[in-house]
Amino acid sequence: MNEELDSQLSAMFDDELPAAECELLARRLSRDEALKARWSRYAVIGAVIRAERGVVLQSVVADRVNAALTKEPRFADTAEARGLHGWVRLAAGAGLAAGVAAVSILWLRMEAPGAQPGQMTVASTAAPAPASAAPRAADSFVVPPLARHQPMMMIPPTQLADYVVAHSAYSWPISRGSLLSSLMVSDPGTLSPSAAAAQRAPRSHGNATHASR
Amino acid sequence: MRPTLRARDCLGALALALILCGAAGAAEPTQWLARMNRALTTLDYEGTFAHWQGGRVEMLRIIHRVEHGVVCERLTSLDGSGREFIRRGSDLTVYLPDKKVVLVEHMLPKSSLLGGIPVINAETAHFYRIRKVAHMRIDQHDTRLITVMPKDAYRYGYRLWIDRGGMPLKIQLWDTRHGGEVIEQIAFASLTVRSHIPDSAFAPGLSTAGYRWLRNDAPAPKAGDASAWGALWLPPGFHMAMRASQSMPGTPGQVDHLVYTDGLASVSVFVERKAAASTSGTPATESARMGASYVFSTFVQGHRVTAVGEVPARTVRSIADSVRDQSPAYPSLPGPFAHPPRP
Repeated sequence: MNEELDSQLSAMFDDELPAAECELLARRLSRDEALKARWSRYAVIGAVIRAERGVVLQSVVADRVNAALTKEPRFADTAEARGLHGWVRLAAGAGLAAGVAAVSILWLRMEAPGAQPGQMTVASTAAPAPASAAPRAADSFVVPPLARHQPMMMIPPTQLADYVVAHSAYSWPISRGSLLSSLMVSDPGTLSPSAAAAQRAPRSHGNATHASR
Repeated sequence: MRPTLRARDCLGALALALILCGAAGAAEPTQWLARMNRALTTLDYEGTFAHWQGGRVEMLRIIHRVEHGVVCERLTSLDGSGREFIRRGSDLTVYLPDKKVVLVEHMLPKSSLLGGIPVINAETAHFYRIRKVAHMRIDQHDTRLITVMPKDAYRYGYRLWIDRGGMPLKIQLWDTRHGGEVIEQIAFASLTVRSHIPDSAFAPGLSTAGYRWLRNDAPAPKAGDASAWGALWLPPGFHMAMRASQSMPGTPGQVDHLVYTDGLASVSVFVERKAAASTSGTPATESARMGASYVFSTFVQGHRVTAVGEVPARTVRSIADSVRDQSPAYPSLPGPFAHPPRP
Protein backbone atom coordinates (compact mmCIF):
# COMPACT_ATOMS: atom_id res chain seq x y z
CA MET A 1 0.00 0.00 0.00
CA ASN A 2 1.46 3.32 -0.96
CA GLU A 3 2.15 6.02 1.54
CA GLU A 4 -0.37 8.48 0.14
CA LEU A 5 -3.19 5.98 0.40
CA ASP A 6 -2.17 5.14 3.91
CA SER A 7 -2.21 8.75 4.92
CA GLN A 8 -5.60 9.26 3.26
CA LEU A 9 -6.97 6.35 5.23
CA SER A 10 -5.60 7.76 8.43
CA ALA A 11 -7.11 11.18 7.66
CA MET A 12 -10.46 9.58 6.87
CA PHE A 13 -10.48 7.78 10.17
CA ASP A 14 -9.70 11.03 11.96
CA ASP A 15 -12.45 12.89 10.09
CA GLU A 16 -9.87 15.08 8.44
CA LEU A 17 -10.40 13.95 4.87
CA PRO A 18 -12.51 16.20 2.64
CA ALA A 19 -15.93 14.79 1.90
CA ALA A 20 -15.34 14.19 -1.81
CA GLU A 21 -12.12 12.28 -1.18
CA CYS A 22 -13.85 10.45 1.61
CA GLU A 23 -16.47 9.09 -0.75
CA LEU A 24 -13.90 8.01 -3.29
CA LEU A 25 -11.87 6.25 -0.67
CA ALA A 26 -14.98 4.64 0.75
CA ARG A 27 -15.77 3.15 -2.66
CA ARG A 28 -12.26 1.86 -2.98
CA LEU A 29 -12.45 0.40 0.51
CA SER A 30 -15.47 -1.64 -0.43
CA ARG A 31 -13.54 -3.55 -3.08
CA ASP A 32 -9.95 -3.52 -1.86
CA GLU A 33 -9.37 -6.25 0.70
CA ALA A 34 -5.92 -5.00 1.69
CA LEU A 35 -7.27 -1.54 2.29
CA LYS A 36 -10.14 -3.00 4.32
CA ALA A 37 -7.66 -4.82 6.51
CA ARG A 38 -5.73 -1.60 7.01
CA TRP A 39 -8.93 0.20 7.93
CA SER A 40 -9.74 -2.52 10.41
CA ARG A 41 -6.49 -1.99 12.21
CA TYR A 42 -7.11 1.73 12.52
CA ALA A 43 -10.59 1.00 13.76
CA VAL A 44 -9.48 -1.38 16.48
CA ILE A 45 -6.82 0.97 17.75
CA GLY A 46 -9.18 3.93 17.61
CA ALA A 47 -11.88 2.09 19.49
CA VAL A 48 -9.55 1.16 22.27
CA ILE A 49 -8.14 4.67 22.55
CA ARG A 50 -11.55 6.31 22.61
CA ALA A 51 -13.50 3.82 24.63
CA GLU A 52 -10.90 3.06 27.24
CA ARG A 53 -9.25 6.44 27.64
CA GLY A 54 -8.02 6.89 31.18
CA VAL A 55 -8.13 3.21 31.94
CA VAL A 56 -5.10 0.98 32.03
CA LEU A 57 -5.58 -1.52 29.28
CA GLN A 58 -6.17 -4.97 30.56
CA SER A 59 -3.93 -7.59 29.14
CA VAL A 60 -6.75 -9.16 27.15
CA VAL A 61 -7.54 -5.90 25.40
CA ALA A 62 -3.88 -5.15 24.85
CA ASP A 63 -3.40 -8.59 23.37
CA ARG A 64 -6.31 -8.08 21.03
CA VAL A 65 -4.96 -4.77 19.84
CA ASN A 66 -1.59 -6.37 19.36
CA ALA A 67 -3.20 -9.20 17.45
CA ALA A 68 -5.02 -6.69 15.30
CA LEU A 69 -1.74 -5.09 14.39
CA THR A 70 -0.19 -8.33 13.33
CA LYS A 71 -3.06 -10.08 11.63
CA GLU A 72 -6.50 -9.55 10.19
CA PRO A 73 -8.84 -8.67 13.06
CA ARG A 74 -12.18 -10.26 13.55
CA PHE A 75 -15.05 -8.51 11.89
CA ALA A 76 -16.69 -7.86 15.24
CA ASP A 77 -13.75 -5.77 16.35
CA THR A 78 -13.89 -3.74 13.23
CA ALA A 79 -17.58 -3.23 13.37
CA GLU A 80 -17.53 -2.24 16.98
CA ALA A 81 -14.91 0.32 16.33
CA ARG A 82 -16.86 1.68 13.41
CA GLY A 83 -19.95 1.78 15.55
CA LEU A 84 -18.12 3.81 18.13
CA HIS A 85 -16.84 6.06 15.44
CA GLY A 86 -20.32 6.76 14.19
CA TRP A 87 -21.64 7.30 17.69
CA VAL A 88 -18.89 9.66 18.71
CA ARG A 89 -19.44 11.57 15.52
CA LEU A 90 -23.18 11.78 16.05
CA ALA A 91 -22.76 12.83 19.63
CA ALA A 92 -20.41 15.60 18.61
CA GLY A 93 -22.87 16.93 16.08
CA ALA A 94 -20.14 17.30 13.50
CA GLY A 95 -20.47 19.24 10.25
CA LEU A 96 -21.31 18.27 6.72
CA ALA A 97 -17.98 16.71 5.84
CA ALA A 98 -18.07 14.53 8.88
CA GLY A 99 -21.68 13.66 8.09
CA VAL A 100 -20.75 12.47 4.64
CA ALA A 101 -17.94 10.43 6.10
CA ALA A 102 -20.31 8.87 8.59
CA VAL A 103 -22.71 7.94 5.81
CA SER A 104 -19.87 6.41 3.84
CA ILE A 105 -18.71 4.42 6.79
CA LEU A 106 -22.19 3.18 7.54
CA TRP A 107 -22.58 2.23 3.91
CA LEU A 108 -19.36 0.27 4.09
CA ARG A 109 -20.56 -1.52 7.12
CA MET A 110 -23.71 -2.59 5.39
CA GLU A 111 -21.68 -3.92 2.53
CA ALA A 112 -19.15 -5.74 4.67
CA PRO A 113 -19.16 -9.51 4.79
CA GLY A 114 -21.19 -10.79 7.68
CA ALA A 115 -23.27 -7.65 8.01
CA GLN A 116 -26.68 -8.48 6.65
CA PRO A 117 -29.05 -5.65 7.12
CA GLY A 118 -32.62 -6.59 7.77
CA GLN A 119 -31.88 -10.12 8.75
CA MET A 120 -31.58 -11.82 12.06
CA THR A 121 -28.53 -13.96 12.56
CA VAL A 122 -29.59 -17.54 12.24
CA ALA A 123 -28.03 -20.58 13.80
CA SER A 124 -29.36 -23.89 12.65
CA THR A 125 -28.81 -26.69 15.10
CA ALA A 126 -28.21 -29.24 12.40
CA ALA A 127 -26.19 -27.60 9.71
CA PRO A 128 -25.47 -23.90 10.00
CA ALA A 129 -26.48 -22.13 6.84
CA PRO A 130 -25.89 -18.56 5.80
CA ALA A 131 -28.67 -16.24 6.85
CA SER A 132 -29.22 -15.27 3.27
CA ALA A 133 -30.31 -18.82 2.55
CA ALA A 134 -33.02 -18.74 5.18
CA PRO A 135 -36.60 -18.70 3.98
CA ARG A 136 -38.21 -15.31 3.58
CA ALA A 137 -40.23 -13.95 6.44
CA ALA A 138 -43.81 -15.04 6.56
CA ASP A 139 -46.39 -12.30 6.25
CA SER A 140 -49.20 -14.48 7.43
CA PHE A 141 -49.45 -15.10 11.10
CA VAL A 142 -51.93 -17.93 10.97
CA VAL A 143 -50.54 -20.03 8.18
CA PRO A 144 -46.85 -19.43 7.65
CA PRO A 145 -45.83 -20.17 4.06
CA LEU A 146 -43.67 -23.22 3.53
CA ALA A 147 -40.60 -22.92 1.42
CA ARG A 148 -40.08 -25.74 -1.05
CA HIS A 149 -37.87 -28.56 0.13
CA GLN A 150 -37.77 -27.05 3.58
CA PRO A 151 -39.11 -28.68 6.71
CA MET A 152 -42.03 -26.99 8.38
CA MET A 153 -41.17 -23.75 10.09
CA MET A 154 -42.13 -24.20 13.68
CA ILE A 155 -42.49 -20.65 14.89
CA PRO A 156 -44.10 -18.00 12.73
CA PRO A 157 -42.02 -14.81 12.85
CA THR A 158 -44.68 -12.70 14.46
CA GLN A 159 -45.14 -15.25 17.19
CA LEU A 160 -41.42 -15.19 17.76
CA ALA A 161 -41.58 -11.41 18.10
CA ASP A 162 -44.41 -11.88 20.57
CA TYR A 163 -42.31 -14.26 22.65
CA VAL A 164 -39.46 -11.78 22.71
CA VAL A 165 -41.78 -8.96 23.79
CA ALA A 166 -43.33 -11.12 26.49
CA HIS A 167 -39.89 -12.12 27.74
CA SER A 168 -38.66 -8.52 27.76
CA ALA A 169 -41.26 -7.67 30.37
CA TYR A 170 -39.37 -9.81 32.87
CA SER A 171 -35.84 -8.78 32.03
CA TRP A 172 -33.45 -6.56 33.91
CA PRO A 173 -34.00 -3.01 32.55
CA ILE A 174 -30.62 -3.12 30.82
CA SER A 175 -31.36 -6.45 29.15
CA ARG A 176 -34.85 -5.28 28.33
CA GLY A 177 -33.53 -2.30 26.42
CA SER A 178 -31.20 -4.60 24.58
CA LEU A 179 -33.93 -7.09 23.71
CA LEU A 180 -36.36 -4.50 22.44
CA SER A 181 -33.66 -2.71 20.50
CA SER A 182 -32.79 -5.98 18.83
CA LEU A 183 -36.43 -6.53 18.01
CA MET A 184 -36.56 -3.10 16.40
CA VAL A 185 -33.59 -3.80 14.16
CA SER A 186 -33.74 -7.58 13.59
CA ASP A 187 -35.97 -9.50 11.32
CA PRO A 188 -37.82 -12.05 13.41
CA GLY A 189 -38.91 -13.82 10.26
CA THR A 190 -35.76 -15.67 9.42
CA LEU A 191 -35.88 -18.34 12.02
CA SER A 192 -34.35 -21.36 10.45
CA PRO A 193 -35.72 -24.82 10.99
CA SER A 194 -33.51 -27.80 11.40
CA ALA A 195 -34.04 -31.47 10.81
CA ALA A 196 -35.19 -33.95 13.35
CA ALA A 197 -31.74 -35.42 13.40
CA ALA A 198 -30.34 -32.26 14.90
CA GLN A 199 -27.55 -33.07 17.21
CA ARG A 200 -27.95 -32.32 20.82
CA ALA A 201 -25.49 -29.99 22.45
CA PRO A 202 -22.45 -31.85 23.75
CA ARG A 203 -22.92 -32.68 27.35
CA SER A 204 -20.58 -33.55 30.13
CA HIS A 205 -20.51 -33.42 33.87
CA GLY A 206 -20.49 -29.94 35.33
CA ASN A 207 -21.28 -28.01 38.47
CA ALA A 208 -24.84 -27.20 37.58
CA THR A 209 -27.75 -27.21 39.94
CA HIS A 210 -31.08 -28.93 39.54
CA ALA A 211 -34.21 -26.96 40.03
CA SER A 212 -36.28 -28.44 42.77
CA ARG A 213 -39.97 -28.21 42.52
CA MET B 1 2.24 5.04 78.24
CA ARG B 2 0.79 8.12 76.75
CA PRO B 3 2.56 7.69 73.39
CA THR B 4 1.59 4.04 73.42
CA LEU B 5 -2.04 4.87 74.04
CA ARG B 6 -1.96 7.44 71.31
CA ALA B 7 -0.45 4.95 68.93
CA ARG B 8 -3.06 2.41 69.96
CA ASP B 9 -5.82 4.96 69.47
CA CYS B 10 -4.42 5.89 66.11
CA LEU B 11 -4.15 2.28 65.06
CA GLY B 12 -7.69 1.63 66.22
CA ALA B 13 -8.99 4.64 64.34
CA LEU B 14 -7.03 3.63 61.28
CA ALA B 15 -8.39 0.10 61.43
CA LEU B 16 -11.94 1.40 61.80
CA ALA B 17 -11.42 3.79 58.92
CA LEU B 18 -10.08 0.97 56.77
CA ILE B 19 -13.02 -1.24 57.63
CA LEU B 20 -15.50 1.52 56.86
CA CYS B 21 -13.70 2.42 53.66
CA GLY B 22 -13.60 -1.23 52.68
CA ALA B 23 -17.29 -1.64 53.34
CA ALA B 24 -18.16 1.52 51.45
CA GLY B 25 -15.89 0.54 48.61
CA ALA B 26 -17.43 -2.88 48.36
CA ALA B 27 -20.99 -1.57 48.47
CA GLU B 28 -20.52 1.30 46.11
CA PRO B 29 -20.68 -0.54 42.76
CA THR B 30 -23.90 -2.26 43.73
CA GLN B 31 -25.28 1.07 44.91
CA TRP B 32 -24.52 2.48 41.49
CA LEU B 33 -26.39 -0.41 39.90
CA ALA B 34 -29.35 0.10 42.23
CA ARG B 35 -29.32 3.81 41.39
CA MET B 36 -29.30 2.93 37.70
CA ASN B 37 -32.22 0.54 38.08
CA ARG B 38 -34.19 3.24 39.90
CA ALA B 39 -33.38 5.87 37.28
CA LEU B 40 -34.32 3.62 34.38
CA THR B 41 -37.62 2.62 35.88
CA THR B 42 -38.77 5.80 37.63
CA LEU B 43 -37.48 8.82 35.68
CA ASP B 44 -39.10 10.54 32.71
CA TYR B 45 -36.56 10.76 29.94
CA GLU B 46 -36.05 10.73 26.22
CA GLY B 47 -32.96 10.02 24.24
CA THR B 48 -31.38 8.76 21.08
CA PHE B 49 -28.90 5.94 21.11
CA ALA B 50 -26.82 3.81 18.81
CA HIS B 51 -27.36 0.09 19.07
CA TRP B 52 -24.45 -1.96 17.80
CA GLN B 53 -24.64 -5.70 17.42
CA GLY B 54 -23.09 -8.16 15.04
CA GLY B 55 -21.59 -5.57 12.76
CA ARG B 56 -24.67 -3.40 12.45
CA VAL B 57 -25.36 -0.03 13.97
CA GLU B 58 -28.88 1.33 14.19
CA MET B 59 -30.08 4.53 15.73
CA LEU B 60 -33.08 4.27 18.02
CA ARG B 61 -35.11 6.72 20.04
CA ILE B 62 -36.53 5.99 23.46
CA ILE B 63 -39.13 7.94 25.46
CA HIS B 64 -39.94 6.80 28.99
CA ARG B 65 -42.48 8.19 31.43
CA VAL B 66 -43.90 7.08 34.76
CA GLU B 67 -47.08 8.91 35.71
CA HIS B 68 -49.27 7.89 38.63
CA GLY B 69 -47.48 4.58 38.65
CA VAL B 70 -48.24 3.83 34.99
CA VAL B 71 -45.23 3.26 32.77
CA CYS B 72 -45.35 4.56 29.21
CA GLU B 73 -42.51 3.80 26.90
CA ARG B 74 -41.87 4.23 23.22
CA LEU B 75 -38.96 2.81 21.27
CA THR B 76 -38.55 3.73 17.62
CA SER B 77 -36.10 2.60 15.00
CA LEU B 78 -34.82 5.75 13.33
CA ASP B 79 -32.89 4.46 10.39
CA GLY B 80 -33.75 0.82 10.02
CA SER B 81 -37.00 -1.05 9.82
CA GLY B 82 -39.19 1.83 11.05
CA ARG B 83 -40.54 -0.47 13.73
CA GLU B 84 -42.01 0.90 16.91
CA PHE B 85 -42.63 -0.52 20.34
CA ILE B 86 -45.11 1.32 22.54
CA ARG B 87 -46.01 0.38 26.05
CA ARG B 88 -48.88 1.92 28.00
CA GLY B 89 -49.15 0.32 31.37
CA SER B 90 -49.69 -3.38 30.83
CA ASP B 91 -50.43 -3.05 27.10
CA LEU B 92 -47.52 -3.61 24.76
CA THR B 93 -47.90 -2.79 21.09
CA VAL B 94 -45.33 -3.61 18.45
CA TYR B 95 -45.66 -2.01 15.01
CA LEU B 96 -43.93 -3.98 12.27
CA PRO B 97 -44.34 -1.85 9.11
CA ASP B 98 -42.15 -4.20 7.09
CA LYS B 99 -44.70 -6.96 7.72
CA LYS B 100 -47.77 -4.71 7.90
CA VAL B 101 -48.50 -6.23 11.27
CA VAL B 102 -49.33 -4.77 14.66
CA LEU B 103 -48.91 -7.03 17.66
CA VAL B 104 -50.77 -6.26 20.86
CA GLU B 105 -49.67 -8.04 23.98
CA HIS B 106 -50.70 -7.80 27.61
CA MET B 107 -48.37 -8.29 30.49
CA LEU B 108 -48.74 -8.72 34.17
CA PRO B 109 -49.63 -5.69 36.29
CA LYS B 110 -46.56 -3.77 37.37
CA SER B 111 -46.73 -4.97 40.93
CA SER B 112 -46.30 -8.55 39.80
CA LEU B 113 -43.84 -7.67 37.10
CA LEU B 114 -40.69 -6.17 38.49
CA GLY B 115 -41.59 -7.33 41.94
CA GLY B 116 -40.98 -10.89 40.83
CA ILE B 117 -37.49 -10.15 39.62
CA PRO B 118 -34.82 -10.15 42.32
CA VAL B 119 -32.76 -7.03 42.78
CA ILE B 120 -29.00 -7.06 42.93
CA ASN B 121 -28.11 -8.42 46.33
CA ALA B 122 -25.47 -10.39 48.16
CA GLU B 123 -26.45 -13.52 46.25
CA THR B 124 -25.66 -11.82 42.96
CA ALA B 125 -22.04 -11.58 44.06
CA HIS B 126 -21.82 -15.37 44.04
CA PHE B 127 -22.19 -15.38 40.29
CA TYR B 128 -20.89 -11.98 39.19
CA ARG B 129 -17.89 -9.86 40.06
CA ILE B 130 -19.23 -6.32 40.43
CA ARG B 131 -16.58 -3.63 40.40
CA LYS B 132 -16.24 0.09 39.99
CA VAL B 133 -13.42 0.33 37.53
CA ALA B 134 -12.97 3.97 36.73
CA HIS B 135 -14.19 7.50 36.68
CA MET B 136 -14.66 8.48 33.04
CA ARG B 137 -16.09 11.25 30.96
CA ILE B 138 -18.44 10.48 28.10
CA ASP B 139 -19.60 13.35 25.95
CA GLN B 140 -18.83 15.83 28.75
CA HIS B 141 -20.67 13.79 31.36
CA ASP B 142 -18.99 12.36 34.43
CA THR B 143 -19.61 8.64 34.59
CA ARG B 144 -18.59 5.70 36.69
CA LEU B 145 -17.60 2.59 34.81
CA ILE B 146 -19.13 -0.38 36.62
CA THR B 147 -18.30 -3.87 35.44
CA VAL B 148 -20.50 -6.86 36.15
CA MET B 149 -18.63 -9.93 34.97
CA PRO B 150 -19.89 -13.50 35.38
CA LYS B 151 -17.84 -16.08 37.20
CA ASP B 152 -18.87 -18.82 34.78
CA ALA B 153 -19.82 -19.15 31.14
CA TYR B 154 -23.56 -19.59 31.65
CA ARG B 155 -24.23 -15.86 31.43
CA TYR B 156 -22.91 -12.64 29.93
CA GLY B 157 -21.15 -9.71 31.56
CA TYR B 158 -21.85 -6.00 31.43
CA ARG B 159 -19.81 -2.82 31.38
CA LEU B 160 -21.93 0.17 32.31
CA TRP B 161 -20.99 3.84 32.17
CA ILE B 162 -23.43 5.41 34.66
CA ASP B 163 -23.80 9.15 35.13
CA ARG B 164 -24.48 10.91 38.43
CA GLY B 165 -28.22 10.72 37.93
CA GLY B 166 -28.01 6.97 37.49
CA MET B 167 -28.58 6.88 33.74
CA PRO B 168 -26.38 4.46 31.81
CA LEU B 169 -24.88 6.49 28.98
CA LYS B 170 -23.14 3.50 27.50
CA ILE B 171 -23.67 -0.22 27.94
CA GLN B 172 -21.60 -3.10 26.67
CA LEU B 173 -22.64 -6.72 26.81
CA TRP B 174 -19.64 -9.02 27.11
CA ASP B 175 -19.17 -12.64 26.31
CA THR B 176 -16.35 -13.45 28.69
CA ARG B 177 -15.49 -16.75 27.04
CA HIS B 178 -12.54 -17.06 24.72
CA GLY B 179 -10.72 -14.07 26.14
CA GLY B 180 -13.70 -11.73 26.18
CA GLU B 181 -15.59 -10.03 23.41
CA VAL B 182 -18.09 -7.20 23.17
CA ILE B 183 -21.21 -8.65 21.60
CA GLU B 184 -23.52 -5.68 21.90
CA GLN B 185 -23.24 -2.01 22.69
CA ILE B 186 -25.75 0.71 23.39
CA ALA B 187 -24.44 4.28 23.53
CA PHE B 188 -26.57 7.36 23.98
CA ALA B 189 -26.00 10.22 21.59
CA SER B 190 -28.46 12.37 23.52
CA LEU B 191 -30.34 11.84 26.74
CA THR B 192 -32.61 14.33 28.50
CA VAL B 193 -34.45 13.86 31.77
CA ARG B 194 -37.80 15.66 31.53
CA SER B 195 -40.17 16.92 34.19
CA HIS B 196 -43.15 16.13 31.98
CA ILE B 197 -43.69 14.20 28.79
CA PRO B 198 -47.11 14.62 27.11
CA ASP B 199 -49.35 11.76 26.02
CA SER B 200 -48.82 12.74 22.40
CA ALA B 201 -45.23 11.54 22.67
CA PHE B 202 -46.53 7.99 22.90
CA ALA B 203 -48.64 8.01 19.76
CA PRO B 204 -47.29 5.84 16.92
CA GLY B 205 -45.56 7.77 14.19
CA LEU B 206 -46.95 5.67 11.35
CA SER B 207 -50.26 5.02 9.73
CA THR B 208 -51.57 1.52 10.31
CA ALA B 209 -54.06 1.51 7.44
CA GLY B 210 -54.05 -1.92 5.87
CA TYR B 211 -52.16 -3.48 8.74
CA ARG B 212 -53.11 -6.82 10.24
CA TRP B 213 -53.78 -6.42 13.94
CA LEU B 214 -52.93 -9.40 16.06
CA ARG B 215 -54.26 -8.83 19.50
CA ASN B 216 -54.85 -10.90 22.50
CA ASP B 217 -58.15 -9.87 24.04
CA ALA B 218 -57.95 -12.34 26.87
CA PRO B 219 -57.40 -10.86 30.32
CA ALA B 220 -53.84 -10.30 31.44
CA PRO B 221 -52.20 -13.44 32.76
CA LYS B 222 -52.19 -14.21 36.42
CA ALA B 223 -48.94 -15.19 38.02
CA GLY B 224 -48.96 -18.71 39.33
CA ASP B 225 -51.67 -19.84 36.96
CA ALA B 226 -49.83 -22.48 35.01
CA SER B 227 -49.49 -26.19 34.80
CA ALA B 228 -46.67 -28.21 36.28
CA TRP B 229 -44.15 -27.54 33.55
CA GLY B 230 -40.69 -26.68 34.70
CA ALA B 231 -36.98 -26.90 33.89
CA LEU B 232 -35.18 -29.74 35.58
CA TRP B 233 -31.78 -28.20 34.94
CA LEU B 234 -30.77 -24.63 35.62
CA PRO B 235 -27.40 -22.89 35.71
CA PRO B 236 -26.11 -22.11 39.20
CA GLY B 237 -27.97 -19.19 40.75
CA PHE B 238 -30.98 -19.37 38.48
CA HIS B 239 -34.39 -19.93 39.97
CA MET B 240 -37.98 -19.58 38.88
CA ALA B 241 -39.23 -15.99 39.27
CA MET B 242 -42.62 -16.26 37.60
CA ARG B 243 -44.99 -18.84 36.25
CA ALA B 244 -48.16 -17.94 34.38
CA SER B 245 -50.54 -19.28 31.81
CA GLN B 246 -51.63 -16.85 29.16
CA SER B 247 -53.14 -16.44 25.74
CA MET B 248 -50.84 -15.07 23.10
CA PRO B 249 -51.92 -13.58 19.80
CA GLY B 250 -51.75 -16.12 17.02
CA THR B 251 -51.16 -19.05 19.33
CA PRO B 252 -54.17 -21.30 19.80
CA GLY B 253 -54.85 -22.26 23.38
CA GLN B 254 -52.97 -21.30 26.46
CA VAL B 255 -49.23 -20.83 26.61
CA ASP B 256 -47.36 -21.46 29.83
CA HIS B 257 -44.77 -18.78 30.47
CA LEU B 258 -42.01 -19.55 32.96
CA VAL B 259 -39.30 -17.05 33.86
CA TYR B 260 -35.96 -18.07 35.34
CA THR B 261 -33.44 -15.49 36.52
CA ASP B 262 -30.25 -15.09 38.49
CA GLY B 263 -31.18 -11.50 39.28
CA LEU B 264 -29.60 -10.01 36.17
CA ALA B 265 -29.90 -12.49 33.32
CA SER B 266 -33.23 -14.12 32.63
CA VAL B 267 -34.61 -16.86 30.45
CA SER B 268 -38.26 -17.25 29.51
CA VAL B 269 -39.67 -20.64 28.65
CA PHE B 270 -42.90 -20.82 26.66
CA VAL B 271 -44.77 -24.08 26.51
CA GLU B 272 -47.35 -24.24 23.76
CA ARG B 273 -49.54 -27.16 24.66
CA LYS B 274 -50.17 -29.73 21.98
CA ALA B 275 -48.69 -27.63 19.20
CA ALA B 276 -49.79 -28.64 15.72
CA ALA B 277 -46.42 -29.72 14.41
CA SER B 278 -46.11 -32.25 17.16
CA THR B 279 -48.43 -34.58 15.31
CA SER B 280 -46.20 -34.75 12.26
CA GLY B 281 -44.05 -37.41 13.82
CA THR B 282 -40.94 -35.44 13.01
CA PRO B 283 -40.07 -33.46 16.07
CA ALA B 284 -37.66 -30.72 15.16
CA THR B 285 -35.54 -28.20 16.89
CA GLU B 286 -34.60 -24.77 15.72
CA SER B 287 -32.61 -21.93 17.10
CA ALA B 288 -32.11 -18.32 16.29
CA ARG B 289 -30.30 -15.31 17.53
CA MET B 290 -31.92 -11.95 17.98
CA GLY B 291 -29.42 -9.34 18.99
CA ALA B 292 -27.57 -10.72 21.94
CA SER B 293 -30.44 -13.02 22.83
CA TYR B 294 -30.99 -16.58 21.78
CA VAL B 295 -34.12 -18.47 20.98
CA PHE B 296 -34.29 -22.24 21.02
CA SER B 297 -37.38 -24.27 20.25
CA THR B 298 -37.99 -27.97 20.58
CA PHE B 299 -40.77 -30.46 21.19
CA VAL B 300 -41.21 -32.18 24.53
CA GLN B 301 -43.92 -34.75 25.10
CA GLY B 302 -45.87 -33.37 22.15
CA HIS B 303 -45.70 -29.77 23.30
CA ARG B 304 -43.62 -27.04 21.79
CA VAL B 305 -41.11 -25.59 24.21
CA THR B 306 -39.42 -22.33 23.27
CA ALA B 307 -36.77 -20.66 25.42
CA VAL B 308 -35.68 -17.05 24.99
CA GLY B 309 -32.93 -15.37 26.95
CA GLU B 310 -30.10 -12.89 26.96
CA VAL B 311 -27.59 -15.59 27.86
CA PRO B 312 -25.25 -17.75 25.77
CA ALA B 313 -26.89 -20.12 23.32
CA ARG B 314 -25.94 -23.24 25.24
CA THR B 315 -27.60 -21.97 28.41
CA VAL B 316 -30.85 -21.31 26.56
CA ARG B 317 -30.74 -24.68 24.87
CA SER B 318 -29.88 -26.63 27.98
CA ILE B 319 -32.74 -25.10 29.91
CA ALA B 320 -35.20 -25.75 27.08
CA ASP B 321 -34.03 -29.33 26.71
CA SER B 322 -34.64 -30.01 30.38
CA VAL B 323 -38.22 -28.71 30.47
CA ARG B 324 -40.71 -31.38 31.45
CA ASP B 325 -44.30 -31.67 32.55
CA GLN B 326 -43.89 -32.62 36.16
CA SER B 327 -47.50 -33.44 36.78
CA PRO B 328 -48.34 -37.00 37.92
CA ALA B 329 -49.14 -37.94 34.31
CA TYR B 330 -45.43 -37.77 33.51
CA PRO B 331 -43.78 -38.82 36.73
CA SER B 332 -40.54 -40.38 35.69
CA LEU B 333 -39.66 -39.41 32.17
CA PRO B 334 -35.91 -39.55 31.82
CA GLY B 335 -34.34 -36.39 30.52
CA PRO B 336 -31.16 -35.59 28.65
CA PHE B 337 -30.10 -33.33 31.47
CA ALA B 338 -28.70 -36.01 33.72
CA HIS B 339 -25.32 -34.74 32.66
CA PRO B 340 -25.66 -30.99 32.65
CA PRO B 341 -23.57 -29.10 30.15
CA ARG B 342 -20.22 -27.71 30.98
CA PRO B 343 -19.77 -24.17 29.71
